[in-house]
Amino acid sequence: MDPILCASHICKSFIGVRALNNIDITINAGEIHCLVGENGCGKSTFVKCISGVYEPDEGSIEINGRVYQSLTPVEAMKNGIQVIYQDLSLFQHMTVAENIAISKLKFEGNRIIDWKQVKSIAKEQLDKIGVQMDLDKTVGETSMANRQMVAICRALAQDAKILFMDEPTTALTKTEVGHLMKIMLELKKQGLAIVFISHKLDEVFTVADKITIFRNGNKIGDFESKDLNEKSLSYYMTGREIEYQRYHRVCKDNDPILEIDNLTRTGQYENVSMSVRPGDIIGLTGLLGSGRTELAMSLFGLNPPKSGVIKVEGRVTDISSPMAAKKCGIALLPEDRFNQGLFIERKIKENISSALINSICKKGIVNKKKENEIAHKYVDELKVRTPSVDTVVGTLSGGNQQKVVIGKWIATKPKVFIMDTPTVGIDVGSKSEIYEQIHKFADSGMAIIFISDEIQEIMANCNRVFILRNGQCVKKLEEEDLGQNGAEKMIADLISSRVPEVSAEEAAQ
Amino acid sequence: MKKKLDQYQKMLMVIIIIYSVFVALKNPQFLKVQTVFDIIKTSSTTMIVAFGLLVVMISGGIDVSFMAIALFGSYTSLYTMIKTGINNLAFAFALSAFIGVCLGLINALLINWLKLPPFIITLGTQNLFHGIMTTFISDKSFGSGVLPTCLHQFGQGTLFKIYTENGSAGLTVSLIPVLIAGILTYLILYKTMLGRGIVAIGNNEESARRAGFNPFIIRLFVYGYSGALAGMMGIVYAAQVNALYPNKMVGDELMIVAAVVIGGTKITGGQGKIFGSVLGVLIIYLLNSTLILIGLSSSWNNLFVGAILVIAVAVTSYQERVKNRNHLIFTE
Amino acid sequence: MDKIKKILGKDLELSILVGITLVVLIAAAAAFGGSMYSGRNIQSMAFQIPEFGFFALAMMLSNMVGGIDLSIIANANTVAIFTAYILNGTWSFGTEGAARVLLAVTAAIITSLAFGVFNGFIIAKTSAPSLIATLGTMTFIQGIGMALTGGSSVGNIDPAFAEFGKAVFLGLPVIFWIFLAASVILGVIISFTGLGRKLYLYGGNPVAARFSAINNEKMSILVFMTTGLLAGMAGLIILSRVNSAKVGYGDSYLLQTMIVCVIGGISPNGGKGKVQGVIIAIILMQVMSSAFTIMSLSPYTKKLIWGIMLIAVLGLNFAVTAYSQHKTLKQSMKNLQGALQK
Repeated sequence: MDPILCASHICKSFIGVRALNNIDITINAGEIHCLVGENGCGKSTFVKCISGVYEPDEGSIEINGRVYQSLTPVEAMKNGIQVIYQDLSLFQHMTVAENIAISKLKFEGNRIIDWKQVKSIAKEQLDKIGVQMDLDKTVGETSMANRQMVAICRALAQDAKILFMDEPTTALTKTEVGHLMKIMLELKKQGLAIVFISHKLDEVFTVADKITIFRNGNKIGDFESKDLNEKSLSYYMTGREIEYQRYHRVCKDNDPILEIDNLTRTGQYENVSMSVRPGDIIGLTGLLGSGRTELAMSLFGLNPPKSGVIKVEGRVTDISSPMAAKKCGIALLPEDRFNQGLFIERKIKENISSALINSICKKGIVNKKKENEIAHKYVDELKVRTPSVDTVVGTLSGGNQQKVVIGKWIATKPKVFIMDTPTVGIDVGSKSEIYEQIHKFADSGMAIIFISDEIQEIMANCNRVFILRNGQCVKKLEEEDLGQNGAEKMIADLISSRVPEVSAEEAAQ
Repeated sequence: MKKKLDQYQKMLMVIIIIYSVFVALKNPQFLKVQTVFDIIKTSSTTMIVAFGLLVVMISGGIDVSFMAIALFGSYTSLYTMIKTGINNLAFAFALSAFIGVCLGLINALLINWLKLPPFIITLGTQNLFHGIMTTFISDKSFGSGVLPTCLHQFGQGTLFKIYTENGSAGLTVSLIPVLIAGILTYLILYKTMLGRGIVAIGNNEESARRAGFNPFIIRLFVYGYSGALAGMMGIVYAAQVNALYPNKMVGDELMIVAAVVIGGTKITGGQGKIFGSVLGVLIIYLLNSTLILIGLSSSWNNLFVGAILVIAVAVTSYQERVKNRNHLIFTE
Repeated sequence: MDKIKKILGKDLELSILVGITLVVLIAAAAAFGGSMYSGRNIQSMAFQIPEFGFFALAMMLSNMVGGIDLSIIANANTVAIFTAYILNGTWSFGTEGAARVLLAVTAAIITSLAFGVFNGFIIAKTSAPSLIATLGTMTFIQGIGMALTGGSSVGNIDPAFAEFGKAVFLGLPVIFWIFLAASVILGVIISFTGLGRKLYLYGGNPVAARFSAINNEKMSILVFMTTGLLAGMAGLIILSRVNSAKVGYGDSYLLQTMIVCVIGGISPNGGKGKVQGVIIAIILMQVMSSAFTIMSLSPYTKKLIWGIMLIAVLGLNFAVTAYSQHKTLKQSMKNLQGALQK
């Protein structure tokens, strides 16, 4: 195993956050090296420092015998570094062939385009990975899985020596993930170094040779894949000194607050049924693409279902808009905190009151006193670390920002609070505070639908679990089931790419 | 490379054909060669700048100063020729295009530095350029008497004539700059890396950067090119009108934006077809010239063009929104 | 001293604007003395401000939601044309005198609201970009006016209406008072009411507004309905002052309203700005406009100066923002260093 790249003492900071702290990593040829860590721990930032998107504040990068303080994107490419970012960086309105070939042709200094050449380059790369695709379709018209393939081909076309892939499987189905893994192994045989970033443990073990663990911007250690198992890996990832308290439902009221009966939206989810009682924290989990966010949006009025019934407190309801959802007492903590949850340039108190504007007004005029009261109340209750409620939300850390969004909805006193991956990119301390608060809400009678793909989180916070796969509910676990040994592993298996098909009977349970 | 016309362009062609048939039935005057040649002549100037605007919009920007640039370039160029006595058409085009490029570069620099919506910045430069020209160069009008004769020859020139019972109809020489502009735009957009870079930054500037493109350089080219075409157009316009006014052309920009949008180019950038823009311009000029033939005065032009634009925008935006919503993408 | 610094720093842009305006006002006094600040000139300016002012308020509102309403001038002119037809007897349905004026004003308000709703509806229901949508409706509305008048002006207005345009109350024109009242109402709504708060949130981040259960479609329709109404008011004022209605009147106002909004601190990206800023900017523009007239500058030179002003103000705003972001970054880096050392 020859080392290709050696990064030493890499440090990087942004406003309010130290993203990387003295990171040393060596990457070898013909090896699949996995960078793992929870969301927001610095893996992506590290890759961006290596690929030239960011300049490290300190540290050096040695590659091909030269040492660099920082790399420009062009230098990185010249050294054989190729990155496939999470958003794939494809051009929607250009064809598949062009997306594959354009970077290579640009890099080689071509001024004139020869479309035959474009097509042949594209075909060559697709053949390398054994995939067939319509070269003339625009990327915008191609499926997510195929787009992933296009991105890989683009990187291969440029004689990558190191291929960085940032969370490549987030939008893929089980079969597609399997196919991707096969391709990675094939490329490894050809001598490529692959650095694969993930927070999904089961995928890591399928292909990785070496694992580097990140936590909160620090490197915890390098390990051979065979020296770790899922338990030890997650221990290092989370720094499990903090033991999360398991949630047990204490609420006695068993009348369902929310019932879903055979809810279907073709192409997204099918025949999903669920009964939610006050005090339930229902874990909703599955790969992205399993329909979980789609379902959540449907319950919040942003994605009307095609068929099926929704009942709120026993009454059949049509949730046609977020306004209607709020009226029914359904709240949603959106997945994309930055764009969907927050008004980044506005004050904390204005964010907290943003779902409650009619309530803080008297005869139409905003009651500043009431707004301040509500803001202080929830800032205290949720432990938002800030000098004042007038601070602009954009200056807060991720954890505090999320608490503000949670506060915004808690202030509306919802009956059902749907939280879509609420702890993404949040430091460990804030995470446990948020878990505590969620338990408190549930104890007081709120029902919570908790969407996540971190199994520890689900185990600790939910008293019931629904597992979705390809739009269908494949398993429902009740409180007793979760208490049993092996529950965690079962959930992991069910969502992962390794498990055999669940039989129809099991799915119907 | 897709050689076929896409659905939207096919629809536009169908509309044009149906409308033409309708007009022809109502008033056979329409079918005369003269009418067709007239439409080609009057729309030629718009076509030239429409190509420039197309390139700008594909890159994700917009420019409403191109008329002011056309005016500035042609006015200065012809003014110089009047004062110095030069009577050379190539000189007129060259100088005007050169000035156009310089003004376009100013647009690009401002857009790059100020990082504000190109619409507002070019609205400012529109007034800036027009104001500078009239204040520092001249604000007089010049009639055909003093203008260089090469201009008039060009404006009246025809490629060939067709003789009918009523006389002769000539296909205007102005078609040549249109063809040059169109072919050049096609070559740039589809045959050069620069052109693909233009499409790339219009799609996603960050991804384009990662692919190795330099958005700043590309923008310099885009606005410079638009300026050059505008400069060329100014001369063609002056030739057709055979006079030099300091206050024409400026103010008609939005109609040309409308034409390009009707032609299927989205203001969000990253896509746009040359032929689509041609169709868009044709629709507008078709309406302008033919409403009279079916009994409506030219005052009805705006109504129809406005209606078409509103419908085109509403339909295409709605389609995009439905597509986005299905993928749970929310942008507003 | 610190207290003053705090008040000024609270809204840096507004403070700068007030400062510049004061400087210009004083300079104008020094340069033109009596001609600028004579009772007659002040009243003349007070007559010119309202029609432009209503356009500026309309543009401001559309900017605050991150869009632009290009149709306001066409709206004003076509509404003026309708009103003129009623007032000169063509469409008066037998009414006369006061009844006719009432009919005319009512029709004007309804029509301008209708045009506004048309805009709002298209933008809300199809998510069309407001620039292009209002480009289309502008052309269409102008087309209505053209089809009706063929481009000629509509005159012979009922004299009662023209009198209204010239009426004076407490030394200032009635139309000026109306404009002031409208500005105050709009300002109060924007700054103090729940509706205004929703406007800021929607303008600043429409996606987050949607996810906060704010009714985006309603907001959109409401905003463009209001810009339509304001444009209609401008149309009525133009009619009363010029005594006729014509397609294309006031086309140059479009650029000027944008300049005024930019100078007034309204961000074209939405979510920021106050009515006060726009009002001050209007006063500034009006004084400069009068100065240009006193100096007998050609309309071309005026254009040049407006163009320079727009670019200069954009540049200044950009510089100020960049500087303050730089300072914030530095401050937070310092905070980080401090936190790490502990």
